[in-house]
This record gives sequence, C-alpha cells and structure tokens, in this order.
Amino acid sequence: MAHALREKAAVSGIGETAYTRGTEKSGLALQLEASLKAIADAGLSPRDIDGVVPYFPGGGIAEDFIANLGLTDLALSLFVPMGGATCVAAIQSAAMAVATGVCKHVLISVGRTGYSGARVSTRLQQFPQFALAAEFEAPIAQGARRHMELYGTTPRHFAEIAVTTRQHAILNGNVVMNKPLTVEEHHASRMIADPFRLFDCSLESDGGAAIVISAADRARALKKPLVTIMGVAEGHPESPASIAQRPDLLDFGLVKAARRGYAMAGVGPKDIDVAEIYDCFTFTVIRQLEILGFCKTGEGGPFVMDGRIGINGDLPLNTHGGLLSQGHVVGLNHVIELTRQLRREAGRAQVKDAEVGLVTGYGDMGDGSLAILRRAA
Amino acid sequence: MSAPAPERPLPTPTRESKPYWEGLRAGKLMLQHCVRCGKVRHYPRPVCPHCFSMESEFKPAALTGKLHTWTVCHHPFNFFFKAQAPYIVALVDMDAGVRINAPLRGVDSAQLKIGQPVQLQFEPVTADVTVPYFAIA
Repeated sequence: MAHALREKAAVSGIGETAYTRGTEKSGLALQLEASLKAIADAGLSPRDIDGVVPYFPGGGIAEDFIANLGLTDLALSLFVPMGGATCVAAIQSAAMAVATGVCKHVLISVGRTGYSGARVSTRLQQFPQFALAAEFEAPIAQGARRHMELYGTTPRHFAEIAVTTRQHAILNGNVVMNKPLTVEEHHASRMIADPFRLFDCSLESDGGAAIVISAADRARALKKPLVTIMGVAEGHPESPASIAQRPDLLDFGLVKAARRGYAMAGVGPKDIDVAEIYDCFTFTVIRQLEILGFCKTGEGGPFVMDGRIGINGDLPLNTHGGLLSQGHVVGLNHVIELTRQLRREAGRAQVKDAEVGLVTGYGDMGDGSLAILRRAA
Repeated sequence: MSAPAPERPLPTPTRESKPYWEGLRAGKLMLQHCVRCGKVRHYPRPVCPHCFSMESEFKPAALTGKLHTWTVCHHPFNFFFKAQAPYIVALVDMDAGVRINAPLRGVDSAQLKIGQPVQLQFEPVTADVTVPYFAIA
C-alpha cells in the first residue's frame, strides 16, 4: 500500500534573492523578499499563507511573518532546528500539515547575512547541541580523512565536485562564484582543515530563499507545473550531539532518512534523473552518494569522475552550483533548483527530460533529510 | 566582517560533567559508568541509554588508545588557536571503550596511521581547568 503522504503535497512556489557577498539588507528583509517571490511564483497572495517554518536560529519568527505579510489566521508555526538538514526536513512537516488539512499553504524560508553579518562560527555556537559537546569542525574533516585512509578517496575526487558544480553555477548566473575553477586551482587553494582546502568548503554568503508547500490537489490549480513530493524524511544519527562517539563516523542521519524516504516514494536510486546534494563540503557529497545507494561505500570518489555528475552525465548533480558555488542559504536553494529542473525552467542548466529528482539536507552534527520530487504536470 | 574575539574557549562544567573535569585536573581520565548495567558513557549525561538507570559513578580509566582518524587544522574554528596552527586534532578509540577528540602533539601528520597507539596527557590551562591532549605512545 502506498504511503499515506506520497504525492499528497507539492512544491507550489519558489523564490530567491540575489546571492551575494555583501548586502545592505537585513537577514529578515532577504527572507521576506524571497518569501514574497515564492508566494507570487505560486500565484498566491501573502494572505493565503497559513503556516510558516522559518529557518532557526537566525532570521524571522512567526510574528515577523504576521506583521510583514499581513497574515490573518496563521494556523501553524514551527522551527526545525536541524542545521543544514532543516530545509528538506521542514518539507516533511509542511507536507503533513497540508495533507491533513491543518494548513493550506506553508511557507518555508531562509534569510542569511552569512557574509555581511554574523559568520557561520557564531551561528553554530547558538545551536543547543553546542552546549552538549563543543566539537564541530574537526570531526567532519576527520571523517573525510578516515574515508581516504580506508577506501583510497583522494583530493582529485573532491576537486571534481568543486570544478563541476562551479561550471553549473556559471550556467545558472545568480551565483556568488561566477569564474571557472580548475583542478589545479582547487589543489593550490589554502588548506583549511586537512583534507579540506578552501574550495572544498561551502560559501559564506548573503541571500534569501523560500518555497511554498501546498496540498497537491490545491497546487494543481495554481500557476506553475505541478511538482509533487513523492517521498520525504528526516533522520537523526546515533550519538547526535557528539560525532566523536558515533559508532561509525561516516553514518549520517541520512542513512535512516534515505530508507524511509525511498520507501515512501516507491522509487530507488536508478529512478533519479537529477540530484541536488547538500554540499557543505565536497566530501559530504561523496559520502551521501554512497548512503543514497548510487554506489557502494568506498566507491563515491571514483563515482563522481568522468563527467558522471555533469549536466549531461548519468547523474547531473548540484545543477545550480550548490553551497560551494551558488550561495549558502542552508540548502533551500537545492530544493528550489530541483523544482525548477522538474518544471523545465532551469535554462542553460536544464537536465533533459528530468522527471524525478532527489534533494538532501545534511546538518550540524550529522542530521540528514531527503525529499524525492516528481514532475506530475 | 567581524573577527571573533581571540579568547581561549574554556569548558563550562555542568552538574553532570563536573567529575570528568575534576578528574582531568587531578591527572585522571574519569569516565561515567552505569551503576545498574555497568556500561560506560561519554560525554556525561543523566540517563543510561542502554538500561535507563539514573544511577551512575565515575571511575578512572586507562589513558591508552588507538588512533581512529585525524585532521590538521590550518584555519581554526576559534581564532585564539591561530598562533598554534597547523595542529593535529586526533580522534582516539580509548581502550576504555569511548572516543576522545583532542590535539595530538609531537608528531608529523605525514607519519600517522589508523590504529597507531597513543596516550592521553594533561595540559593545565587555568587553576580550575585542565584539558586533555595526546602523544604517540
């Protein structure tokens, strides 16, 4: 029997600001600008929004949306504090709300002055998990190092992701990094936390992004081609606050989310035409591809080579440039890009005949989330 | 761009973790064990996730372990540590059954291998706080 939530909800609207390094706008203004664009993209009025899931911490809260968008009867206000896994996990909460009739249209939004305002290290220290075990940067690089030692993964594999997704960013145009990147430039960039060099790390940028989640039957009547949510799930790893104590450092929450998300969607990795994978670091893409079953554990490095993840490859990946080259709005830009691909609105980066796509989130101490979307129009 | 203040971050012991930090100050690795099922857990917390008992005790643990993995920090998370960069941060499988994440000193990172034996050492930082680091055993 099909999962009760399968294709009951849709991404009905998408909106994003310019992605920049440097802005005069506040994070809240960026969040609201993107929100207004997403609502207009859906063909809705701000007053139609009756649920909000703002990114937390940082940016607006429900009160800001009521005060700025004139919402008269907000039925749901949620935070999903899962760091980089937040935006995709929030789709699950929003889908439940619209599928059950608690809400009609739920707005998920992010606004960040990650370059002009507080830097990412400040944001991380606001997380409640940080009070439990103040470890962050080291365990992720350590996980990459362990993968290299165990499976022979190399910086050349990391570079392939940075270079290919930079090409995709250039096709997109609304990006922070708009110059080509070579493998040599990647290898020559300064070391940050070995094995991660500068171009293995995602951007600190300014920008806002928003999406509207509506019940599928309502969305069908709206402005844009219908993109339904086939499967969606969040997953939390063992030892969630301390990566160090996790039995396997390389097992993220995505291991659990993928199992449930694929089952809900009723599809597998072979059915995926385009993938937008959370790319806080190049290596996290490699490991997620393994977890998602596109290849076996240890084979993620070789998998990304030879053009496989390019626009015309077997698995076009991060077709907007991702967090590495487009901008860092905590992966909501990944959801927007996947929706655009399935609507066939991706311009020069359009993947031919994209029908089914996958997007992931990866957050903080290893939370994971996954959504599988389908062009239903 | 606002640079973080270059102050050394220090742990703030909680009711749960106080015995661990007091142990380090006394030159011991004190780990929390469940009184009912005997299992060790780290970081310290109120409930045993295996048997749900709230009774626990701290016992001294062996200081030896094996290298699980490592990184070399060139761009520290907290800029206080900039003067020390690059430095190795090692994740160690302690023989006592938990992992400890701490600096590894006195070795070239090019020489490191998974499984290499290391030993926990103690670095007094203030009158109240001592932090752990590793040396090759």
